[in-house]
Amino acid sequence: MTIASLKIGLSAAFALGLACLPVHAQNFNVGRSLIKGNAVQYLYPEQVTVAAGKPSAVTLHFRIAPGLHINSHTPSEDYLIPTVFSIPDGAGARLDKATYPSGTDITLPIDPKTKLSVYTGDFTIEARIVAVAGNHLVEAKLHYQACDNNECMPPKTIPVAIDVIGK
Amino acid sequence: MKRNTLVLTVVLFLLATFAWAGWANWKYRQQAAERMLASAAKGELVPDPAGGMAQYNSPLKGKPAPAFALEDLSGKKVTLASYKGKAVLINFWATWCGPCKLETPWLVELRNKYAGQGFEILGVSTEGEDLKKDDKAGWDKDRAAIGKFVEQMKVPYPMLVGGDSISQDYGGLDAMPTSFFVDRKGNVVAAQMGLTSQSDIESNIKKALEN
Repeated sequence: MTIASLKIGLSAAFALGLACLPVHAQNFNVGRSLIKGNAVQYLYPEQVTVAAGKPSAVTLHFRIAPGLHINSHTPSEDYLIPTVFSIPDGAGARLDKATYPSGTDITLPIDPKTKLSVYTGDFTIEARIVAVAGNHLVEAKLHYQACDNNECMPPKTIPVAIDVIGK
Repeated sequence: MKRNTLVLTVVLFLLATFAWAGWANWKYRQQAAERMLASAAKGELVPDPAGGMAQYNSPLKGKPAPAFALEDLSGKKVTLASYKGKAVLINFWATWCGPCKLETPWLVELRNKYAGQGFEILGVSTEGEDLKKDDKAGWDKDRAAIGKFVEQMKVPYPMLVGGDSISQDYGGLDAMPTSFFVDRKGNVVAAQMGLTSQSDIESNIKKALEN
């Protein structure tokens, strides 16, 4: 009877543990589908673990909607709005340095004389982050300005939510 | 037997506590992420499923153009009402908008062509969320950039600033350039979003002059 009780108890505990796994394993993939009208979507990572107090490299992945382009971090004309990643003060983590990809030079059919330095499709930003010890939900931001071949959308800032664990 | 039951109960209780803590933590992070995403502005431009330029069907068509009073580059107040009796093209543009700058020579030519028939263009500069209301240095820089462009392009029509303050009245301005063609009675007869062609713009000017 003792062994039977133990078996039942262990089975129940195992079943309970299995039932909990999806809760822990599931990424909170909230809102990862492209919100209608947003030209750029943050893909991943949603969570990173870094050494507390030391700069750690994190690769941030973004996707630009098909048919659109955004100015690179170093656009070809000074009136164009660059793409910039930032972390606000007081987040528990700060941005030590961001390294942006080189833009692709394109010309538009409507204006073949002007070269634009842009990002299209998927791109990454290498962010060097310094976090204090602890668990921080960092509300970083990506600022950009998108166009297609015929029109431009107003500059936009999207949230980049990253769970940063400083160990 | 009693001890085994007690141990089992304690173990199950601890497991349940850990499971609840994990669930609560996950739920908290999910809600925090949802709040952040909800605070992001949601656009309304819908790409053309056929892959072409997004179509703009303005709800203002057939209705009176919303009234406004904006400053020109010299600081003088300009109202839409003061142009009643004329056909007007209200052209929303931005200094960072390449297509907007491309269509400006067409607008200059068409304005000069039809001015004698009672037609005018009002250029309305709209910078978006980048320029905050209290950013005086930013606004001064913006006006200087507009002034330089006006001089380069020999723009003969009024250039107004602060278009963001009326953008909601005109449907939110999801993209630029966006133009509204207003007839002599003050009603919107046509609207365009994006760079089209000089002939498209001219045909809408004629519509505004006809009424």
